[in-house]
Amino acid sequence: MPPEPVIDVAGLVKHYHASDGTVVRAVNGVSLTVDAGEMVGLLGANGAGKTTTLRMLATLLRPTSGTARIAGCDIRTDPVGVRRRLGYVSATTGVADRLSAREIFTSFGRLHGLPDETLPERVAELLEQLDLTGCADRPAGRLSSGQRQRVSLGRALVHDPPALVLDEPTNALDVIGARDLLDLLARLRAEGHAILLSTHRLHEIENRCDRFVIIHGGGVVATGTRESLVADWIRGRDGELEEAFFAAIRKDAAISEPLP
Amino acid sequence: MTYRGQPSSLAAALAIARRDLLEFVRDRRTLVITLLLPMATYPILALATALGLRTATQEIDARTAPAPIHVGLSGPEAARFAALVERTLETTPRSERAGWPADVALADVSQADAESLLDRGAIDLWIVAQPGLLAALRSQRTVPIPVRVSARQPANITLREQFLAFMRTLGRDVTRDRVTSAGLPTTLLEPLDVVFEGDPAAGPPPLKHNVISTLAGGMLVLLTVLTLTGAFYPAIDAIAGEKERGTIETLLIAPCRISDIVFGKFLGVLAITLATLVANVVSIAATAAVAVRYLPQGVVAALPEGALVQATIATIVAFCGMAAVAAATCLAVTTASKSGKEAQNTLTPVILLVSAVAGSALLPGVRTGPLFAAIPFAGQVVVARSALGTGAEEPSGGLALTLAVAVSLLSSLTVTWLLLQLTTLTLTDEDVLFRGPDVAGTPLHRPARRRRPNAVQALLPLVAGFAGLWYTQGLVPDDLRWAIPVQQMLAVLAPLALVGWWQRVDLRETFSWRWPSGDALRSASVMLGAILLGGGLFLLGAAALLAWQGGTTSAEARQLSARLVALIQGQPRWLAWSLIALVPAVCEELLFRGWVLAGFVGDARTRPRLWTAIVMQAAAFALFHLLPERMPQTFVLGLVLGTLVVLTGSLLPAVACHLAHNSMPLAILAIAGDVPGLAAAIETAGSSPAMLPSSVIVTAAAAVAIGSGLVAMGVRAWRQPLEHAQ
Repeated sequence: MPPEPVIDVAGLVKHYHASDGTVVRAVNGVSLTVDAGEMVGLLGANGAGKTTTLRMLATLLRPTSGTARIAGCDIRTDPVGVRRRLGYVSATTGVADRLSAREIFTSFGRLHGLPDETLPERVAELLEQLDLTGCADRPAGRLSSGQRQRVSLGRALVHDPPALVLDEPTNALDVIGARDLLDLLARLRAEGHAILLSTHRLHEIENRCDRFVIIHGGGVVATGTRESLVADWIRGRDGELEEAFFAAIRKDAAISEPLP
Repeated sequence: MTYRGQPSSLAAALAIARRDLLEFVRDRRTLVITLLLPMATYPILALATALGLRTATQEIDARTAPAPIHVGLSGPEAARFAALVERTLETTPRSERAGWPADVALADVSQADAESLLDRGAIDLWIVAQPGLLAALRSQRTVPIPVRVSARQPANITLREQFLAFMRTLGRDVTRDRVTSAGLPTTLLEPLDVVFEGDPAAGPPPLKHNVISTLAGGMLVLLTVLTLTGAFYPAIDAIAGEKERGTIETLLIAPCRISDIVFGKFLGVLAITLATLVANVVSIAATAAVAVRYLPQGVVAALPEGALVQATIATIVAFCGMAAVAAATCLAVTTASKSGKEAQNTLTPVILLVSAVAGSALLPGVRTGPLFAAIPFAGQVVVARSALGTGAEEPSGGLALTLAVAVSLLSSLTVTWLLLQLTTLTLTDEDVLFRGPDVAGTPLHRPARRRRPNAVQALLPLVAGFAGLWYTQGLVPDDLRWAIPVQQMLAVLAPLALVGWWQRVDLRETFSWRWPSGDALRSASVMLGAILLGGGLFLLGAAALLAWQGGTTSAEARQLSARLVALIQGQPRWLAWSLIALVPAVCEELLFRGWVLAGFVGDARTRPRLWTAIVMQAAAFALFHLLPERMPQTFVLGLVLGTLVVLTGSLLPAVACHLAHNSMPLAILAIAGDVPGLAAAIETAGSSPAMLPSSVIVTAAAAVAIGSGLVAMGVRAWRQPLEHAQ
């Protein structure tokens, strides 16, 4: 029997009411899995439902229906268990300007119940891993964007979660910053973390993810490896992932409901 | 090695508090405002006061101190009149010279010079002793003594009063002469000689001016406002600031409950608030110690040392409670805000409102009592004021003071708990957390459609109801036949309809307006149980009220019960029943067990949240009844009614229970006729110290027990509350 996927999303739905009274189907039945040691890219245009899906996984939003399990914990019935096993960083996640990386890691280590004896050791290890040792005691407000994003990631890693959910983590970064971050994620994948990463910058992750899930209009329209997606969607021609992506969402646009 | 653990609730809260404090301490500018503002405020205030008081007292002293009066005498009998004056000056003992001038200096002046002497101020008064004056004084007539004052000098009231006091003594001496010359004893003039026996200890001399007590009261209000200011910045930073920086998500996904996060935030804000309070108290104490030297004598009455220690402890304990309320208030108000600026805009009017509440504690007639002590922000000022003896009363101490402090502290803790619950509910509300960018006037935009109101919306009809009642008081007729429907319309139905329309909630979901789920037998069991519960609770409540108060109720409560009894006796039964039972039961259930409960429960129907919501709506229900005597009873009733709705998923059993509760007075009258004592016990008890018969109490307890059993039997989903309502 194969091991249970670390991230196992089954038919997640999130509807809400817009201010004009209409029902917005932000996420309309998303299912996907991510195994340990696997990095999956969640692709979609703005408004496709990426952020809402990931927020539900992070227990920040309650699903209208469907559910998901993170390392065996159900997001509906055991949100605290999920939070113990999940690291979450979004594009809008900030860092406390007045605290240093070391202080941020230490405070979140305490919040995750790390014992005081091992906490400094873990924090030092994390600073080393994220290449932040040189600026560990500088207020985060005086760090570069790349460094801040690594602090944000470190904050999500302090409790060594089996699952990592990252919502457009490279958005604010330049080319070099983005590459550094993705290299770091590759190392984490190699260590056995299950990583679910959303982005709309396909070229960055094209060769880095094991599999891709393309969502559009709140639902999954295609899923597979880069090669299988290219093969399925731009049949007979050798092409880029981007072309497969466009082909998938164009086909879907014809049959799905219009975007809100 | 695993790094995954789960901290206890307290450990999580402390970790958050520690992080927040570290962050706040780094914010030097706010820290300076929070802590150094009080250090500067009080010395400035004290210096200004000392200087002002000194000038004021000097002026008063100069005006009231006895000064010599220069009297010019002319006329043929001037010398003989002067002799009379001299005699009175010499013979009157010191103890009888109250109100006199320091001296009466006489000068012979010629009639030609007198006017100019008066105008120059060389003499204060001028008397012309006409021929026959002395003879007239020896007669039995009243003798006019015209006294001229200067038309140019300003009128000196003190001088005139002091001269009159002297002349009254002179008049007494003249009377003695008349009595003696008539051959009568002078004891004729003194029929009484009052002697105080025993050895009364000399009390403290009365204060010359009452300025300082007014000032101390003002100082306490200032302390309240500055303590609140201490909570202002950290509270804004704690949640709205985190939202602005994008760090709130990182906390919400920490492995602890949202209530632990809120509690941690509260502890952080409380620590700064308490530090502000300490800075204020230290500044007040240091300033007072220095300022006493600058104050004129006679304006400060020293408290006995024991009383001062007691008063200081009482004040500090009460104000620590207030610091908690202040921290929780600021957090609750700013939680819905998305940025620091938005939070400031919301919080500033609240600070002003609270200052008005605190200031009201200085009004004359506000006395220490459990009632006043329980009011947040005003109660603490009342307690401190009476402990320090700066009000109209003597300093209170001992048991009364301990009770007042305990009530104040208990009220503070309760209010704090309620506010933290509100904060938790608001923080987890998805619409609030992930709403769009801050738009000026967001609250004025009609919100998105939703199933049930949220925690903030839950309170809107209550606010609107109180406002409606207050501003239309003049329109409510005296006649209860009209007053009850009009009040229910203004306080409940109209606000509910307005807010319900505006908020666009699912009315059926919100008001649980459906038959209890389950088959007919179970539903009937629930309804019957609810009716028994309502009736039993009324009798138990009335018995408890009578036992507790022994018939002493406030004037308002007596007036209300008298009017209700008159209504019951003076109207047809159906009309009285509609007015007392039917209309309030339906209206109040719609508001409290419908709207308010649904708002506090929200969409996350976890068990702790359901219980919290029940307690919060019961508290709102109790407060809504205004009369303090009724609050314990209405609170318990609110708890039972809320539990009924949560367990059955329907409002109807609660309506039935409320209906039975309010119908009891009528039922009693119908069954027992006007039994003396019973009628008085109706509705919050009357004025006679009656006691319900024990058989009635036993029956009521049995009704409550059987009713609970019937409800329990009828509720199928006892283990999964409200699952069917998901």
